[in-house]
Amino acid sequence: MSDTPSNTITLTIDGREVSVPKGTTLLKAAKQVGKDVPHYCYHDGLSSPAQCRLCLVEVEGAPKPMPACVTQAMDGQVVSTESEAALDMREGVLEFYLVNHPLDCPICDMSGECNLQDYVHAEGRDHGRSREPKRIFGRDDFGGDVLYYGDRCVMCTRCVRFMREVEQDGRLTVVERGNRSVIDTFFDRGLEGTQFSGNVVDLCPVGALVSKDFLYKARAWDLDHTPSICPSCSQGCNIELHTRDNLVQRLKPRENLEVNAFWMCDHGRLNYEWINHGDRLEAPLVREGDTVRAMGWKEALTALLQRLGDAAEKGVKVVASPLAPNEDLAALKALVEDLGGGEIVFRMPRAEDEIVLKGFPTMARRRDLAPNGRGAELLGMRRVGEDDGTGGLEGVSGHDGVVIVLGDALADQGPDFAAGSALLVYLGTHSGPAAAAADFVLPVTTFAEQEGTFTNHEGRVQRFWPALSAPGAARPAWLVLGALFAERTQSDSIRKADDAFARLVATHGAFAGLTYDDIGTRGALVSDTVPLSGD
Amino acid sequence: MAYPYVSDREVRVLSKYFGDPMQRRVDTYVERGGYQALKKAFEMGQDAVIDEVKASGLRGRGGAGFPAGLKWSFMPKQPTKPHYLLCNADESEPGTFKDRELLRWDPHQVIEGVLIASYAIRAKQAYIYCRGEFFETTQILAKALEDAYEKGYVGKDIMGSGNDIDITVHVGGGAYICGEETGLMNSLEGRRGQPRVKPPFPAAVGAFGMPSTVNNVETLSAVPHIVTHGGQWYRQWGTEKSPGTKLFCVSGHVNKPGNYELPLGFPLMDLINDVCGGMKDGKALKAVIPGGSSVPILDAQECADCNLDYEGVQTAGSMLGCASVIVMDEDTDIVKQVRRMVQFYAHESCGQCTPCREGSAWMLQILKRIEEGRGTEEDLQTMLDMSRQMTGTTICVLSDSVGAPVVSSINKFKDEYLALIRRGERVGVA
Amino acid sequence: MSDVPFKNPGWAGNTGEYDLTEDQVRGDEFVGTRPIEGGHPSGSASYPYMLPDKDPEAPLFEGPYKDRFEKILTRYPNKQAALLPTLGLAQEVRGHVSPHTMDGVAELLGLSPAYVRGVATFYTMYNKRPVGRFLIQVCTNISCNLCGADDVMGAFLRYTDTELGETSEDGYFTVVEAECLAACGFPTCVQINSRYYENVTPADVPKIVEHLKAEGAGGD
Repeated sequence: MSDTPSNTITLTIDGREVSVPKGTTLLKAAKQVGKDVPHYCYHDGLSSPAQCRLCLVEVEGAPKPMPACVTQAMDGQVVSTESEAALDMREGVLEFYLVNHPLDCPICDMSGECNLQDYVHAEGRDHGRSREPKRIFGRDDFGGDVLYYGDRCVMCTRCVRFMREVEQDGRLTVVERGNRSVIDTFFDRGLEGTQFSGNVVDLCPVGALVSKDFLYKARAWDLDHTPSICPSCSQGCNIELHTRDNLVQRLKPRENLEVNAFWMCDHGRLNYEWINHGDRLEAPLVREGDTVRAMGWKEALTALLQRLGDAAEKGVKVVASPLAPNEDLAALKALVEDLGGGEIVFRMPRAEDEIVLKGFPTMARRRDLAPNGRGAELLGMRRVGEDDGTGGLEGVSGHDGVVIVLGDALADQGPDFAAGSALLVYLGTHSGPAAAAADFVLPVTTFAEQEGTFTNHEGRVQRFWPALSAPGAARPAWLVLGALFAERTQSDSIRKADDAFARLVATHGAFAGLTYDDIGTRGALVSDTVPLSGD
Repeated sequence: MAYPYVSDREVRVLSKYFGDPMQRRVDTYVERGGYQALKKAFEMGQDAVIDEVKASGLRGRGGAGFPAGLKWSFMPKQPTKPHYLLCNADESEPGTFKDRELLRWDPHQVIEGVLIASYAIRAKQAYIYCRGEFFETTQILAKALEDAYEKGYVGKDIMGSGNDIDITVHVGGGAYICGEETGLMNSLEGRRGQPRVKPPFPAAVGAFGMPSTVNNVETLSAVPHIVTHGGQWYRQWGTEKSPGTKLFCVSGHVNKPGNYELPLGFPLMDLINDVCGGMKDGKALKAVIPGGSSVPILDAQECADCNLDYEGVQTAGSMLGCASVIVMDEDTDIVKQVRRMVQFYAHESCGQCTPCREGSAWMLQILKRIEEGRGTEEDLQTMLDMSRQMTGTTICVLSDSVGAPVVSSINKFKDEYLALIRRGERVGVA
Repeated sequence: MSDVPFKNPGWAGNTGEYDLTEDQVRGDEFVGTRPIEGGHPSGSASYPYMLPDKDPEAPLFEGPYKDRFEKILTRYPNKQAALLPTLGLAQEVRGHVSPHTMDGVAELLGLSPAYVRGVATFYTMYNKRPVGRFLIQVCTNISCNLCGADDVMGAFLRYTDTELGETSEDGYFTVVEAECLAACGFPTCVQINSRYYENVTPADVPKIVEHLKAEGAGGD
C-alpha cells in the first residue's frame, strides 16, 4: 500500500496522534504508539475470531468496547487503551481466566514466558475472588511432540486455527461448548504423521500445549536466545537457539515473512541433538608415523604449511559440506585456488519429497537436507553422491596429491580413504572415518558456535550468531583456512566473520553488494538466480 | 374453536386460525385467501414491497425489534451473488412459545411470508431453520411445504410469475445460541453454532459468505397481511414507534397461560388480570419477566404502569424482547429462579468469549452456594462486578443476558439473597 | 398412534376448553407419517425421528435412508452444510452418535473426523452415548419450574427407577433435564423421544411410564 494521503488516516490513541494506512487494525495502530494491547486469540499468522475479549479498548462514540484486533482504525477516531473502563473490562477478563486456571506455575513449562502471568501481573486483580473448586480436565497426549494440559487452556483456539488454516489438516477441534469446552483430537487419533504440529506449542499463549521433548528440561528464564538459521534443510527457516549450560535445549521459529513466517517444521525443530554431541574434536591432531599427536594451533599449522606446498604439486581434491557456512566455503576455495586449483565436491542427503506447508506454500521442508547447498553451488562446488548423502568420492579417494575434507565426516568411507594421497587434511567437528584417515585433523566449530551465513534454496543469504562456546581449541573453519591462506600469500589474516564475508563478496559476483549490515536479521537475496541442480 | 384460551381483547391477525388443523391444508389456506399476498407482491415489485413493510413499521419479533423493512433494504439491489433468506425458527428463549404455534397451526402463513421476503431481498433460496426438538412442528411444516411445492406456490416459476424461490426446512441440533442470527448462519453451514463477529453484517457477508437476511417466524408471518392490506392498515394497532399486533406468550402463575395476540402497547396488568384470568390461586404478584429470561426482572410496582411495547417496557426498566411474559407470584423463590436461568445460560454459552464462558459458569457456582446457605454478602458485589464486566464485552448478547436477571434481582430482591446468606450464617454452614 | 389413557396427548392446551382429537391434530389428514426416504427434498431434513428401536451397527446409509441422505445433499451449496441433518439421520438409524458414526459421517461429507466431533459435541441433541428406548427430557427451565417441573422430574426418576442421565436397568428409560422446550404455556413440558407431552403433573407420570413400558414391550 502506498502512503499517499488518501490511503492514510490519522487517529488518536491514548492522547497520541498516529497515522496509519487505511485498513490497519486498532491493535496494530496502538503498537505504533508503543501500546501493546493484551491479546490471546489474535495472532499475525492466523484468522481473527476476536473471542478472547482481552484486547477490548474504548472508542469514543462507540456504544460498546471494541476488540482492537479486528476493529479497523478510522480517521479522527479517539481510542483509549488504558481508560478506567478499558482497564476494568480487561481486569474482568483476567479474573475470569483465573477462575479455573490452575496456579501450577512452579511446575508449568510456560512459566516465565506465559502471557497470562504477564497480563495478570500488569493488569489483573491482586487477589482472585473465586472460592469455587476448579474445573478439572487433566492431561492428554495429543501425539507427535505435543502434550495438552486442559486445565491451563484459555480457549484462544490458536492451535485449532493453525492446524485448520496453516497446516490444513484439521486434526484439532474444540469439543463440547461453554465452560466444558476443551481442545481435542479425534479420540485416540492424534497428531502423529503431521509435519508442522509442533508450532501449536509456540502458538499456545499459556502452558496448555507443551513440547514433550522440552518437558521439565529447563526454566524459561534460564534460557539464552540466539537468532539463527535452521540447518535441517535448504529452506533456511529463521529460528532461535534456546541454550542453557552450553547445550541447545530447544529450537523455536523466529518471524520472517519472506521465508518461514512464524513457523518451522517438526523435522527441523527436533533435529538438534547432534549439535550437543559430546564426542567432539577439541585439539589439532597430527599424524607422525604410526602415532597421532595433539598440538597447539601454531605448531600444527606450521607443520601443515611445510607439507602443503609440495604435496599440492600433484593437484588438490576437496570434499566440502553443505552444512558449512558461506564464509568457510569461500575461505576453503581461496586456499585451494592458491594451491593451484582443484575440484571441490560436496555431498548432500536429499529427501524423496518436499513437505509443503499448505497455508504458507512458499515454505516447505525442502528435499535438500542441508542449509547451504545453494551457497556451495554458487561458489562453484559440485554436488556428487547418492540421495542418502553417501558415495561419489571415488575420484577423491584415489587421488595422490592433497585431499582436503571440510565438515564431512565421511561416515560411509573406510579407513583406507585416500590412502594413496600425499596429504589428507580434515577440518571437522566430530571424529569418524575422515578423522581416522587424516594426516592433519583440525577441529572446527559448528554453526551454533560461530557467526556466519547460509544461502537458502532461493538464494537468500541469512546470518546466524554464536550461541554456544566452542569446545577446546575448535575454531571456525574460515579462521583456520584464512590463516593458512594468509601465511602462504603473506597477506593480512582475517580476524572477523564479516571480513570473511567481505572477502567472499569481493571474489564472487553472485554475492556482489551484500554486507552483514544489509543482511541483518532478515536476509538478502544474491543477484545470481541460477537454479539448484536437480530442481 | 378454542385455542387453548382466547380473550375478546385479542386482535387475532396472525393467530386467527390457531387451534384449527384445517388451516394446515393448502386448499383451506388458499380458500381463506392464502397466497394472494404473494401474487400481489410479485405485481408490486421488490422495492414497493420493501417500502410497504417499511411503512408498516413492523419491527423484528425475535427480540431485538429492528425494523424489518429497513433490514431488507440493506440487501444489495443488483445481486451479483446468490442471496439467502433465513427464517429463524430456532425458538428457545425461556418463556417463549409463539413460533412453534405459528409453524404448526399456520405453516402456510409462514411459507408465504418467507416467499414474499425472499422475493423482496432477491433471494432464490430460503432456509427455515427449525429448532431440532420441534419434531412434530417440522413434520407439519414439511408437509405444508411439500403441498405448496405441488401447487406451484414454491419452486420454479411461481404462479406463472417467472420467479423462482426454493425453500428448505433445516433442523438444528439443540443449541440455544443458534437463535442468534450469526450463530444460526454458522450452524446452517454445518459448523459449531458460534456467533460471528460483526462487521461484516449478514446483508454483506451472511450464510455461505453471501448477502443474507435473517427474520423471525412471527415477523415473516405478519408480512403477508401487511402486503395484502398495506402498511397503514397495520399501524391501526400499537403505538407510533411499535406498531401492529404481537403474540404475547404468557407463562407462570396465571390462570390462563398461553399465546395472546394483542396490540403493542397493551397494559401489562390488563394482560395478567383480564386476558389471563388473573393470578393463579388468587395470590399476589411478586415479579414479571416481560420479555423472556434474557431481560431484567420487574417487581410488582414497576409492572403497575407498564405498557407492553418496546419503549414502554424500557421505561419500566426492562425490555420487551420477544414478549414472553413470565409471571411470578408472592411465593416464588427468586434466587432459585435466577439460579435456574443462569444455569441455562451457563449450559448454552457457546464458549467462545471468555467473559461468557467463564463468567456464566462461575456465576452459577456462586448462586448455588448462596442457595445452599453458603453465600456471603461480598458474593453479591462480586456478581454485580461480574455482570458489569460481562455486559457489552462479548461477540453476542448471551453474556449480557446472564447479567440481566442477576443484577435486577439483586437490586430489587436483595432481601431474599440476604435471608439465604444469614440463614446459612446462623446454622454455621458458611 | 395408540390411545393414551391420560390427558396431555402431545399437543398444546388440553385444558378443557379445547376440542380436538389427536387424529385431528396430528392425524394422517394433516401431517401423516412422513416417508423414510424423505418425501420432497425441501423437507427431507425435517427429521430425525427418535426411534425406540436402535441398531448401533446400521449402515450409513442404505435403501430409503440413502435416498434421504442424497436428497438432503441437493439442498445445500456444499456438503459441509448437510452435517447437522446427516448427524440427525445417523442418530435416527443408530440411536446415538458414536466415534465410529462421527468417522463415517466425516467420510460421507469429506470433512475431518475431528471437525465432525467438534460440531457433534456442540449440540445437545446428538447422544454421544447410547440412551434407553425412551429418552425422557423434562424441561425444568423457568416457566415450567415455576409450575412444579422439579416435582415432575422427581416423579420420572422415581417411576423409571433411574438416576439423572443414566439408563434404567431394563434399557427402557433415560431421563435427562432439558432446557426450555418452547411450550411454556403448557407446563410442565416433557419430550419423550420425538414427541412432546404437555401439562404434565407428577400425578400423570406413573401413567405415562406404564404406557411407555407397554408400548415398548409391544414393539411400538
